[in-house]
Amino acid sequence: MTAQDPQAAPAEKPVRHGPPIVIAEEVLNERGEETAAQLARTLGPLALESAGREDNPWARVDAKELHAVAKECRDGEMGMDMLNLMLAVDWIDRIQMIYVLYSTTNNRKVILKADLPADAPAIDSLSDLWEAATWYEREAHDLFGVDFPGNRDMSPLLLYEGFEGHPGLKSYPLNDYEEW
Amino acid sequence: MAVDGNNDTQSLPLFVPQKWNREEGGHFFHTDEGGDVSLGKGNHPAPSRMNNVPGVITGKLDDLIAMGRSNSLWTLTFGLACCAIEMISTHMAHHDLDRFGIVTWPSPRQADVMIIAGTVVKKMAEPIRLLYEQMPDPKWVIAMGTCATSGGPYYKSYSVVMGVDHIIPVDIYVPGCPPRPEALMDAFMKLQSKIKSDAKNHQIDDLSTSSVIAEMTTDGTVPPANASREEPTG
Amino acid sequence: MTNEPQFDHVDMMLNMGPQHPATHGVFRMVLTVDGERVVDVTPHIGYLHRGTERLAEVETYGQVITLFDRVDYISNLNNELAFVRAGEKIMEVEAPERAQYIRVILAELNRVASHLLFIGTYAIDLGGMTPVMYCFRERERIENLFEHVTGARMMHNYMRIGGVKSDVPDDFVPWVRRLIGEVRMGVEESDKLLSTNEVFLARTQGVGVIDGPTAVSCGLSGPSLRGSGVAYDVRKDDPYEIYPYLNYKIPLGENGDCWDRYYLRVLECYESLNMIEQCLDQFPAGPIMAAGRRIARPPAGEVFAHSENPRGDLGVYLVSDGSDKPYRVKIRPPSFCNLVGLATMTRGAYIADAVAILGSLDIVLGEVDR
Repeated sequence: MTAQDPQAAPAEKPVRHGPPIVIAEEVLNERGEETAAQLARTLGPLALESAGREDNPWARVDAKELHAVAKECRDGEMGMDMLNLMLAVDWIDRIQMIYVLYSTTNNRKVILKADLPADAPAIDSLSDLWEAATWYEREAHDLFGVDFPGNRDMSPLLLYEGFEGHPGLKSYPLNDYEEW
Repeated sequence: MAVDGNNDTQSLPLFVPQKWNREEGGHFFHTDEGGDVSLGKGNHPAPSRMNNVPGVITGKLDDLIAMGRSNSLWTLTFGLACCAIEMISTHMAHHDLDRFGIVTWPSPRQADVMIIAGTVVKKMAEPIRLLYEQMPDPKWVIAMGTCATSGGPYYKSYSVVMGVDHIIPVDIYVPGCPPRPEALMDAFMKLQSKIKSDAKNHQIDDLSTSSVIAEMTTDGTVPPANASREEPTG
Repeated sequence: MTNEPQFDHVDMMLNMGPQHPATHGVFRMVLTVDGERVVDVTPHIGYLHRGTERLAEVETYGQVITLFDRVDYISNLNNELAFVRAGEKIMEVEAPERAQYIRVILAELNRVASHLLFIGTYAIDLGGMTPVMYCFRERERIENLFEHVTGARMMHNYMRIGGVKSDVPDDFVPWVRRLIGEVRMGVEESDKLLSTNEVFLARTQGVGVIDGPTAVSCGLSGPSLRGSGVAYDVRKDDPYEIYPYLNYKIPLGENGDCWDRYYLRVLECYESLNMIEQCLDQFPAGPIMAAGRRIARPPAGEVFAHSENPRGDLGVYLVSDGSDKPYRVKIRPPSFCNLVGLATMTRGAYIADAVAILGSLDIVLGEVDR
């Protein structure tokens, strides 16, 4: 049911048969509410959408504002001095970048999301804010094809030189291996 | 990708991997020197002048040399992934491998056996090939673990070579994920018997009958040496 | 080759290639050296990139647990714990108390085993061949217990979303008590061999210094970060399982050099052994698996869970689309982030120090490359 047929059109959402899909409710607990309030103060009107689960609030911002927002999170009252995780999710029609920020002084975590178009995904690099972003961005470039202008070194990190295609995308044929 | 005339001092090119070429029968890449597998295999190096000496003298000498070789196998320290931890455990004091004369040696120029312990990734294929060709004859290869045998749990992955025998010829396969230290010791026992019997039977080019599969012991016991040994057919 | 009076200065590139006895796996470092001093270091990784995250999208949740075993192949149970916690968060179930105690006991034992391997291989990197024998003797004892409980020495596949696979045998508590005593003696032996050794001290003190703010900006975590004095430990800052009921201290370093990173791992071994004893004293009876579906089919949503790996903060970001296979699993590997700090630590050090610094970061390439 979820077999990826190489002959089919590459960008097909996998069809899931079975019981109806349940959407999880996102409920913040008390500490999460405080962090969400701080985040709302920091982002102001730039937050397009926000919710959260347990004590991790998330907010979706526009891709062009992300660098400014992240800088404000780092230098402002939130004091997010560590970029804990950066990942890309391929939602076929768009690629979503997710940034998990953590503050060692306040012990709070927030998640920032930004949507990028699927055909030419590009977003400003955060490597001037946190050194950790350099390698995360190289990995996202390798696996998803996202471009990061501003990162000083975009050579392949995980894949060998000359690898064609971006294997993290859903359209990359995974089971295309034939035994000799 | 070409690196001649390139002033970029950051890259140290060895080989350039070509695209995975299925029509050519499973070879991942071709080297510039020509020929994919070296002429000598296993116990016998490339033909030499000694081939014309009467067999009575060299027969006994072959046995003696094979006994010497099999009792002092130097392995190349080449742990790739999880199987490397079990390989290190096998070398350590509890399941000692040093008592069989097996020591790990970091340089390929002085090693006899290469144990491919772990998953072979396409990016790592060319260093493995280079190391295999740097080892002098006679040399043997043990493929330890299911990843090295056939791709293992990463069978569907886009970046894994499904078994190291697409790149180098393998003598002993050890199944397991990871194989117990006793299974690796059994592999060495089988390799020793293979060396001795190869010397007796003068196996040169017949790879398909001289690969032996070691037994995976699940209860920690090593089967007796003569119980299931497969004699290579001439 | 001109006839200029001053010398032409060329930096030499030294390749510590994918096959090297001291690089802890298939890791390649290209050192730019000026004489004996390292000017710059360029790490090259990807020699063990197996596509775990992409494979996790076509396998069910139970199969993904086996993939997670092999991500950081030295501390298997801690990886399983991180993923299983993410699964439990998204399915909104909680494991029963006995299962949580079993998980914490096994995870802490795995932490001790991982630190023992670190001590042994660090000593062998710096030239001392003896401590590794003692450390692996203790590891064999711990792996013997794991085999008794979970069925396998290394790839256990023991934890499930909602609990653990099967209950511990009847002689678990006395066996572990005996084991703690033996392992404590073993750790003390290795500690005495190394920690006051003059050669070891000369090779590790003052080498590879990184200060707190730079380390945090590079994303370091775990003992590599705590060596620089930043007190970030997931067990204390974001407690999970039954860690709030245990009484333990977190060792902190002062200088941020290799000695601090090494010694606080030794102290963590002792702390972990104390924690296991407290768990055994509090060990409850009860079920070991939460009631509910055996096949995990979580609601659609996203969740982030992290746990304290022996190497640092292992995070799992799980995106589910409501089916029995995850939509996206992203692993935040602590060793990947620790390697970002390698360039900062190695600038200006000797070539031999580069080996010591890389060893003190305690990287595992299965985790770096996934």
